[in-house]
Amino acid sequence: MAIDGWVIIVDENRAGGMLDAARRLGGRVTAAVAGRRDLAKRAAGMGFDRVLCWESADGVPPEAYAAAMAERAAQEAPRLVLASDAPPARVLLGAAAAALNAALVASVRAVAAAGEKIVVSRAAAEGKVLEDIAVSGALAGIFDGDDAEQRGGAAVTVEIVPAEAGAALRVLSTEAESGAAGLLTAARVVGVGLGLRARDDLQIIEKLAAAMGAETACTLPVCDDMRWFASHSVVGSSHSRIAPDLYIALGISGQPQHMSGVRDAKVVVAVNSDPEARIFKNCDYGIVGDLYKIVPVLTAAFAASKNP
Amino acid sequence: MKIVVVFKWARNPLDARVSADAAISWPGVKLAASDDDPAAMEIAAALAAGDEVVGLTIGDGDTAWAAARGAARTVVVTDAPGETDSAATGAALAAAVRRMTGVGAVLIGDSAWDYAVVSALAGRLGWPAVAGVTAACPERGELRVTRRLGAATQALSAAGPVVLAVTANRAEKNVPGMKEVLAARKKPVEKITAADLNTASRYQVQTQGVRFPDTPPARIIDGGDPPTACEQLIAALRTDGVI
Ligand SMILES: Cc1cc2nc3c(=O)[nH]c(=O)nc-3n(C[C@H](O)[C@H](O)[C@H](O)COP(=O)(O)OP(=O)(O)OC[C@H]3O[C@@H](n4cnc5c(N)ncnc54)[C@H](O)[C@@H]3O)c2cc1C
Repeated sequence: MAIDGWVIIVDENRAGGMLDAARRLGGRVTAAVAGRRDLAKRAAGMGFDRVLCWESADGVPPEAYAAAMAERAAQEAPRLVLASDAPPARVLLGAAAAALNAALVASVRAVAAAGEKIVVSRAAAEGKVLEDIAVSGALAGIFDGDDAEQRGGAAVTVEIVPAEAGAALRVLSTEAESGAAGLLTAARVVGVGLGLRARDDLQIIEKLAAAMGAETACTLPVCDDMRWFASHSVVGSSHSRIAPDLYIALGISGQPQHMSGVRDAKVVVAVNSDPEARIFKNCDYGIVGDLYKIVPVLTAAFAASKNP
Repeated sequence: MKIVVVFKWARNPLDARVSADAAISWPGVKLAASDDDPAAMEIAAALAAGDEVVGLTIGDGDTAWAAARGAARTVVVTDAPGETDSAATGAALAAAVRRMTGVGAVLIGDSAWDYAVVSALAGRLGWPAVAGVTAACPERGELRVTRRLGAATQALSAAGPVVLAVTANRAEKNVPGMKEVLAARKKPVEKITAADLNTASRYQVQTQGVRFPDTPPARIIDGGDPPTACEQLIAALRTDGVI
C-alpha cells in the first residue's frame, strides 16, 4: 500500500534525508515549507513530488503558520509527517500531529510500511538501541537520521498557500553569532576538553590545528569554568552544532550534550587516557592515550602528510 | 501572569539499562528533571512577577521539585501514559493545563530526552509556541522571547497565552536546600487521572522489537606507542578519504 507523506521544512537541514525516509512508504511526498520562497524553490529541486509553501512575510516566524499548515494537513490527511528537530519545525509538527490525531515519535531514524501499519525505528537509550514501533493511524516523526544529498531532477512548481499568520508571534531581531562563522563551515575541527591541564597547553592544540588546517572548538566547561575560549567556540546541544569532515576530540569525555553537537561530523576521532571514557562508544576512531604524548606526534604526522 | 511549569515528565535515557539482547529496562529509575527543567522554572518565576506559578508533572514521583523552586502548588496526572506514546503524554499535559483558568504561559524544558512530548503539548494546546527558548521577559503587555536558531539568536514578541519550550545552557545555579524542599512538601498537590482528562487517541503505538544499530563500533587504537598509533590513525583517515 502506498502511503503519502509530508516533510515539514523550515531550513534545508536533513530535508534530503527526510525525503528519502518518506519515500520508503511508496506514496507521494509533499514538502510543506514554512519560510522564504527561495527555500521552497530549493526544496522543489530536491525531488519532492509537490511543494507547498507558507511564504513568510517579513518579521513573521515559521511557527506563526502552525494553525494554517495543520488545517491543510487535516484536509489532506497524510499518514506520515516528518520534521527535523529545528525548534520551529517541531512546533509546526506538533500542530499537524494534533490536527491529524497522529502518534508522535522523536529520534526517528527510518520508517517502513508493514501492511496497514507504519513501522518507525527510533533511537532509544541515548542511541545505544534502535526500537521499532508499529503505528496504526497517522505518524508524526521528529527525524534525526542521516541527511542525504538529493540530485536536482526536474523541479516541480511551488504552490504558494495563502494563509493567515495571526498576530501572536513576530520576529523583533535576528543576530548571527559572528565569531562562530569559521567553525560552522570548517572541514576540520579540533575540540578541546578538560583533559587539557593548563591554558598555556593550548599551544600544542593550536599547532595541531595549524598542521591540519583546522578550526578549534571546546566543551562547555573549558569556556564557562576555565574561560580559555569564548562561548562561540563551544560545541554541543546548547551551543554550536557543526558538521566537519573530521572532528578530533582531545581530552573530552563524550557527554551527550557535547556529542549531539558533532552528530553530523563525518569522522570523529577521540584521544582520551581513560579506556572507559564514554566517547569511545561514540566515535569512529579512538586512541587510548595521553593527549600530551599523542598531540605532538599527530601534529608532525599531519605536517608530513601535507608535504610528502 | 499565571504560569504553568511542566517538570519531571521523562526519564533520563542515560539511566536506561540495555541488556545483551538490546532490551531496555529501567530498574528503579524514576521520572527526572532534565537539564532544561530548572531553566524553564527560572524563567517562569521571573515572568509570574508575583502571580501564581503552578507545577505540573506526571507519574508517581517527587512532586515537590517545582514547589521547592517557587511554585505555589502542583498538579500531578498520576497515570499519564509515558515512554512509547509521547503524543498521549503531551495530550494529557495539555488537557491538565486546559482545566486551569487564566494561564498566561506554559513553560516546559525543551529536552532532547523526548522532543515529541514538547511538540505534542504545544500542538494539543493549539497556542502559539516557541521552542529553543533561552530567555523571556514582559515587554509592553506582551512577552519578549529570545531563542537560539542555529548559530543565530532571535528575539520574538509573543502575545499570550503561549507555550515556551526552554533550553538551558548550563547546569542549575541555585539548587534549593533542604529547608526549601521541606517547606515545598507542605504545599498543596492535586492528583488527577487520565480518566479525568478524557484524551482519547485515534492511533495505536506498539513496540515491536529492539536491536542494536548496525553502525560498526569504534576502532580503538592503543596509544601506548604514539608514533605507531598516529601512523595507524592517519592511514585510516586516508582510507576514509577525509585527509
Ligand atoms: C544544561 C547543560 C547544557 C550543556 N551544554 C553543553 C554543550 O553545549 N557543550 C558541551 O561541551 N557541554 C555541555 N554541557 C556540559 C556537559 O554535560 C559536560 O559536562 C561537558 O561536555 C564535559 O566536558 P569535558 O568532556 O571537557 O570534561 P570531562 O567530562 O571532565 O572530561 C575530561 C576528559 O578528559 C580525559 N583526560 C584527562 N586527562 C587526559 C589526558 N592527559 N589525555 C587524554 N585525555 C585526558 C578524561 O579521561 C575525561 O574523559 C552542558 C551541561 C548542561 C547541564
